[in-house]
Amino acid sequence: MKPTELGLRRAFDVHSHVLGNGLKVLLVENPSIPTVSMNASVLAGARYDPESKAGQAIMASRLLDEGTETRSSFEIADAIESVGGAIEADGSFERLVVSAGVLNKDIGLGLELLSDLLIRPVFPQEYVDKEKERTLAEIVSAQDRPQVVAGWAFNELVYQDHPLHRPAHGYPETVERLERNDLFEFHKKYFLPNNVILSVVGDFRVSELLPKIEDALGSWRARPIVFPTYPEPVRQSGKRTKFIQMPAQQLNIYLGHLGVKRTNPDYYALQVLDTILGGGAGFTARIPQRLRDELGLAYTTFASITMTAGLDPGRFVAFIGTSPENMKLATEGLVNEIRRITEEPVTAQELQDAKDYLTGSFVFAFEASPQIARFLIHAEVYGLGFDYVEKYLEYIRRVTIEDISRVAKMYLDSENYTLVVVGPLDGAQ
Amino acid sequence: MSSLEIPSAFAMEDVGRTVLDNGLVVLTKEVHTSPIVTSMIWYRVGSRNEELGQTGKSHFLEHMLFKGTERFKKGEIDLITLKNGGGNNAFTSHDFTAYYFNFASDRWDVALEIESDRMVNCAFDPEEFEAEKKVVIEELKTGLDSPWGLLLQEQEASAFKVHPYRNPIVGWLQDVERATVEEQQAYYRRYYHPNNATLVLAGDFETNQILTKVARAFGLIPAGTPPPSMLLKEPPQRGERRLIVRWRSKVPRLAIAYHAPQIAHVDSYALQVLGVVLSEGKASRLYQRLVEREQSVTFVSAEYGEAKDPTLFHIRAEARGDHSVEEIETSIYHELGRIARGEVNQHELDRAKHQMEAHFILSRERTLDQAILLGQIETLYGIDYIDSYLQRINAVTTADVAAACSRYLNEDSRTVALLLSDGSEQVEENESEAD
Repeated sequence: MKPTELGLRRAFDVHSHVLGNGLKVLLVENPSIPTVSMNASVLAGARYDPESKAGQAIMASRLLDEGTETRSSFEIADAIESVGGAIEADGSFERLVVSAGVLNKDIGLGLELLSDLLIRPVFPQEYVDKEKERTLAEIVSAQDRPQVVAGWAFNELVYQDHPLHRPAHGYPETVERLERNDLFEFHKKYFLPNNVILSVVGDFRVSELLPKIEDALGSWRARPIVFPTYPEPVRQSGKRTKFIQMPAQQLNIYLGHLGVKRTNPDYYALQVLDTILGGGAGFTARIPQRLRDELGLAYTTFASITMTAGLDPGRFVAFIGTSPENMKLATEGLVNEIRRITEEPVTAQELQDAKDYLTGSFVFAFEASPQIARFLIHAEVYGLGFDYVEKYLEYIRRVTIEDISRVAKMYLDSENYTLVVVGPLDGAQ
Repeated sequence: MSSLEIPSAFAMEDVGRTVLDNGLVVLTKEVHTSPIVTSMIWYRVGSRNEELGQTGKSHFLEHMLFKGTERFKKGEIDLITLKNGGGNNAFTSHDFTAYYFNFASDRWDVALEIESDRMVNCAFDPEEFEAEKKVVIEELKTGLDSPWGLLLQEQEASAFKVHPYRNPIVGWLQDVERATVEEQQAYYRRYYHPNNATLVLAGDFETNQILTKVARAFGLIPAGTPPPSMLLKEPPQRGERRLIVRWRSKVPRLAIAYHAPQIAHVDSYALQVLGVVLSEGKASRLYQRLVEREQSVTFVSAEYGEAKDPTLFHIRAEARGDHSVEEIETSIYHELGRIARGEVNQHELDRAKHQMEAHFILSRERTLDQAILLGQIETLYGIDYIDSYLQRINAVTTADVAAACSRYLNEDSRTVALLLSDGSEQVEENESEAD
């Protein structure tokens, strides 16, 4: 028996509903432990920030739990923590997410707080000021980590004018300029029931939970939304490089270029390619096998194009952290492996192993309720369908050696790439 | 407060404990919610067992166990994991070394074959050893490029003068550089025995059936000479120790460590509760004071570190803006003083206990998490600890928290480590584009 067929034996039922105001509700009963995970996703994020207000979306999300019309920041924290629960608000380029985890007996409180944060935040001026200062301090602190600095620089070069060129939390100068009114504006524009998906997974009965959700969120009023538009990013046609000197032990090297969207039909062939080139189990993929296992150049090295695929195209990234004297060897090593997979077909054995890995390990993505709650949101946002759990296996099994060659040639480039190196360049060879 | 109840799914009567004739402890926990089996093996050896000049051996050994045996050649362990759609990894601490495999439940037995084989047959090919040494050194350097990694390493080296908790788990660079394959092999022979290990299986299986498989895989391995006991004890600290680490960062960081008793010590429960009262969640003491009111830090954490031998209670904070570490330190000591004088209210205490209860449940949903809990507790103390854990936490009173704070978190037993700027200006950028 294939492991994945084992997985399907216990595939879960998704109960999908749409409230009168357009809010989508996705529910999965999972009584294995007495807890409930909730995930409310607002389908707007840092990708919609105007350049001059970069950081607006993330700032708005971080202030959701700092005060509502009926509760102070402390009252929210005290209420949820007193029952041992947790509620968090955070954001990314694509979404702002309020998530809560509670014991099943506290599901009512969880829903109440969740709706309060989504519908009635007040963004108190005092907290806007605090959060700005804190974000500025965190940006300074993050610059201590060469890998972060390298990642930021890499995105700037790869995305150019596209919104994903910037850090999601913005730049110091744009964060400084954000005002309380910007956060209200963002909330007013995008926090609408017809722009929200709520997933709840855990120990409850759908028939009992639905009326509670209706009570908590049903009276929220829908409005039409106009989303900003921006041009698609363009893949580079030459080399771009950036070297940043920083006193450190290791060089952090990012090498790659623009990637693909999650909805790209070649996504699954690219997942198999990722597994062969730079991912998979242990150090079986070509890049870690060659650069770590054989040459001893690094503790961390990997490559992937599917990992960052989203509504916007992600990035193809090959990464290595290595001592400065290895710079040339490491960079050439990455480029050689990228070139090899675009020029030579992978072996039948490599293909089979990668497919077995992906289909066999699929079950691990659905072990815990928070994982399932996140999956439901992805399934909805990227149009995967709730029978994805079954379809996925077929998508992977279908991939051929020719597919890998075709997608490697189409989506990877060993000539026209961006190279960013951050670290002790003085010792680099 | 409402009483804490352990959900039946987590009661320890569900955990089987069997000891094979050769001394191998086998813990089994059936979990039938997903078709997954986690298998872990825990060795009672970590950096606490390493001698001066030989630091980093336990961790290096962990790397070597993936480099093959006579039966499973180099790369084959990872390849088997790949082909079977599984996951594997390992970690080393001061007190233990642990390895795990996650597989679907119809093919997990291969994990038993690998673990039993590499318990005694690790290959130690000299070339592989030298190649892997480079990887370990890169890992060590990655740690030194993290401000907290560096600061905590220096702090432990100062808080402990005698006990090997003073040494980094990954080892000191010069020790790793001069490590030899012969020494490594001797260390392996000394500590990798069935009677120095615990096998933990958690997941979708029938206990009776798998115990037969376990006996087949491990039963014939002879018991080894019990490894030497680690006899070093840390003498009492007789006054505050302070140290400064100069680094490239502009952001000052503060780490305060207090000597604290080992896991399951009668006072350890109150110290765990104290850590939660101080810094778990936005309603906690230090968050409210330092992040909310004084706005002097970007984050603050307080935590009792569970360990086999007397250990440390850590407080860490990252300064923000123009706030000085002196100002932050003063506020922390002021808050600790209030708690030591008994200014903890019942509501705060109850909230902390509920957080601990929920964490105990919420964070054990995956079989791997359950296996880690069981293996770690059995290795550090014995699984009975889990049985009484929530009752012990529930029994902690406000007076206990005050007494523990007063007794352990005092000036004379603390080591204060500051990460401060070395004045260097980073960042010279050089950009080019050729289309």
